[in-house]
Amino acid sequence: MSTSTQQIENLIAQEYTQGFVTDLEADTFPPGLNEDVIRALSAKKGEPEFMLEWRLQAFRHWQTMKTPEWAFVKYDPIDYQAISYYSAPKKKEGPNSLDEVDPELLETYKKLGIPLDEQERLAGVAVDAVFDSVSVATTFKGKLKEAGVIFCPISEAIRDYPELVQKYLGTVVPQGDNFYAALNSAVFTDGSFVYIPKGVRCPMELSTYFRINAANTGQFERTLIIADAGSHVSYLEGCTAPMRDENQLHAAVVELVALEDAEIKYSTVQNWYPGDKEGKGGIYNFVTKRADCRGNNSKVSWTQVETGSAITWKYPSCVLTGDNSVGEFYSVALSNNYQQADTGTKMIHIGKNTSSTIISKGISAGRAQNTYRGLVKVLKSAENARNYTQCDSLLVGDTCGAHTFPYVEVRQPSAQVEHEATTSKISEDQLFFCQQRGLSPEDSVSMIVNGFCKEVFKELPMEFAVEAQALLGISLEGAVG
Amino acid sequence: MMNAVENITSHYLADYENSASALPGRHLPWLQQLCSDALQQFAQQGFPSPREEEWKYTNVSAIEKKRFSPAASEAAQAAVDSDWLDACRLADAWSLVLVDGRFSAQLSRLEGLPESVIVCAMAEALEKHPDRLEVRFGRALTRENHGFIHFTSAWFSDGLYLHIPPRTVLDKPVQLLHVVTKPDSLAVTRSLIDVESMAEAEVFETFVGVDDLAYLNASVTEVLVGDNARLDLYKLQCETGKAYHFGGTYVLQESHGRFQHHNFSFGGLLARNEVHTDLGRAAECQLNGLYIGRKRQHSDNHTRINHTQPHGISREMYKGILDQRARGVFQGRVVVFEGAQKTDSEMNNRNLLLSNDAEADTKPQLEIYNDDVKCSHGVTVGQLDEKSIFYLRSRCIDAETARNMLTFAFANEMVDKLPNRSFQGLVQAQLLAHFPQTGIVKEWL
Repeated sequence: MSTSTQQIENLIAQEYTQGFVTDLEADTFPPGLNEDVIRALSAKKGEPEFMLEWRLQAFRHWQTMKTPEWAFVKYDPIDYQAISYYSAPKKKEGPNSLDEVDPELLETYKKLGIPLDEQERLAGVAVDAVFDSVSVATTFKGKLKEAGVIFCPISEAIRDYPELVQKYLGTVVPQGDNFYAALNSAVFTDGSFVYIPKGVRCPMELSTYFRINAANTGQFERTLIIADAGSHVSYLEGCTAPMRDENQLHAAVVELVALEDAEIKYSTVQNWYPGDKEGKGGIYNFVTKRADCRGNNSKVSWTQVETGSAITWKYPSCVLTGDNSVGEFYSVALSNNYQQADTGTKMIHIGKNTSSTIISKGISAGRAQNTYRGLVKVLKSAENARNYTQCDSLLVGDTCGAHTFPYVEVRQPSAQVEHEATTSKISEDQLFFCQQRGLSPEDSVSMIVNGFCKEVFKELPMEFAVEAQALLGISLEGAVG
Repeated sequence: MMNAVENITSHYLADYENSASALPGRHLPWLQQLCSDALQQFAQQGFPSPREEEWKYTNVSAIEKKRFSPAASEAAQAAVDSDWLDACRLADAWSLVLVDGRFSAQLSRLEGLPESVIVCAMAEALEKHPDRLEVRFGRALTRENHGFIHFTSAWFSDGLYLHIPPRTVLDKPVQLLHVVTKPDSLAVTRSLIDVESMAEAEVFETFVGVDDLAYLNASVTEVLVGDNARLDLYKLQCETGKAYHFGGTYVLQESHGRFQHHNFSFGGLLARNEVHTDLGRAAECQLNGLYIGRKRQHSDNHTRINHTQPHGISREMYKGILDQRARGVFQGRVVVFEGAQKTDSEMNNRNLLLSNDAEADTKPQLEIYNDDVKCSHGVTVGQLDEKSIFYLRSRCIDAETARNMLTFAFANEMVDKLPNRSFQGLVQAQLLAHFPQTGIVKEWL
């Protein structure tokens, strides 16, 4: 093995630093799933009748469905009866301010580098923190309210804004959309809800931090973001979990609705526990994310940095319904050791003059399998639709795999669809060139990998770009474009 | 639905009992075994359904609804219009003609073949060279497993057997002509092309049907390319507008073996072309293709390149033109196996959509288990370039002619890749025949 390959491996073989467990008294349901569990869950959340009905409908549909097997991932079948569907840190009557939140919890978030303490925040980012199944704290609520923005846990939204929830929930990802979405619809416990009213530009970035803590639980959160006409919002999402030997399930659903002239920017840094070097443990990350650009001239942009999870099964999609709407997808997926990532996007062009851009960068190392799977579909109504797709894969070591499975379906002659993909390893010539200019081998590799991912990193908000690069083990210099 | 499938499967199964005795070579124990295995597999699987990933865009249920029967009599062979057939023939080539899936000695031209080379019908080869076939038959099919493969293995009534001994170069091409003359008939053929080390050959496969008949033509060709050997295989598919066509080419390339395939798919109501190849050490392959669809035609092109050994090189370019209600499918997969270092692979697919009702589905895939490789693929779907049309119009060419010229040029690029003038002539004539405004374009040639 050449020295350069070793350098790369050293860079990538970073230890997982967020793998600690927080000792908290938790209120957890016994494992198992049936209609009674769903009723109990709904009652616990104090949900209105329509929500319970909706959940039961989803559950009944889920029972008729089969686990999808088409993805390029291998895992043992999951026993859905062995999972607990509700786990919440025990607390007194719901906290009204941060002072009432369990200090243990605050400590955990501090350890993760997510300060919930409003005063200490430097940048204006509002955070909603989800711990196991429930949202524990949402910051900057007051300031957001002034602007008319609703940013709260979805369970709260179901109680306080039932008409909004009822109008939009499940309209982008229907209950029976796929196996995991159906399961999520039946048992989702919390998540974030965002509503940006007409013409409002959200005064700060919104952020949700997800943390799985309890053992043998599944985390099922649901996020719903509605950007009303002419509004703008940037939303960030981060996630971590403790190191455990057994696999844990995370099946989330994210729905975005962009109305006329609205813009949503959704960024994710996914760092669930990926399992150890032998591939033991880790999170199964089966997520359904979809955006509906419902209004004309709307825009949705997905940016994701996927470094964690034993298995990632995730296809953030855009349904471009409105005329002139724009969908974007920027992704860096890094898989190492025995990680398996099957990720990509779907761009469904329905409206006229819709355009979409897909930039996907996959880095595969160790014994990992990294797959890009994407669909670009242009319906007959989508005159002058435009798509540009670029998928690049970087291979590190001769035991990993990188795969590209794009699907292109076009029914409109005025559409222009382009797809290109390349797969290669870090070029010896580039390494040589950098070193010849006086850079150390590590710096050279850093620079090249950085350059490889640059197109995606530059789409991330500043704080996230920093975190993402730290995750990839790459120095920051000159990277943020 | 399920019943219909079972019915049609059992129809073919029952029919087989009656027809097996008329099929060649079935007295050989190894072939008997192979056929009964295949039949069993077919009974289980039936024809492929769109639920299978590799058949996602192609629904063959129309084939299941019809009953095709093998044409029994040889009377039809005499009835083939020789002038019409001559138009499909290559000048200066040996030709082997299969009428309704059976060899026609009368129409074939095999005089003057070198002594050492075998070019004969599969039925004859099974009589004369059963031992040679026993070890080679089915060797290139070990990775294949779908209904059409098993169907063809069980039902084949004839085919081509071509054997080129080591260090022999054929100085003329061999043309294999598949002709179908009977309505609702079933023409099933299995061919084997065996080019031994350092030998070279050119084979030109042509598929044609009489008038506007509906029939099913299923053909499987196995190709063995020895080390340092070279085979250029050309396929011109001009079935009738109502015909169903399945044509599979499965290739094993030994080290340094070179294989070229040019695939022109113009005819058929529903056509599925498969080209799968396994590359040995430092082997090279080039796959080119052009598919044209009009009316309700459906053309599915499925390719797979397996880089199993290091230093392999593959190049692939498929183009499609889809007009009216046609649907074109391209599914290409490049697999680089563990250990196949220094693989160099490029794949391209370009589609031109000419009508609001046409559809192009494309699925280029890279599957790589290795790091020291250079692989890329590209896909485009679009329409003619407005600037080019404007340029031509500014040179006093009317819009329609300009469009036709550009469309023709798009297609003709693939014809230009053919090394041989007589191949080019034959393919270009068929291309123009399948082109709507032939007259206008011809003037400019």
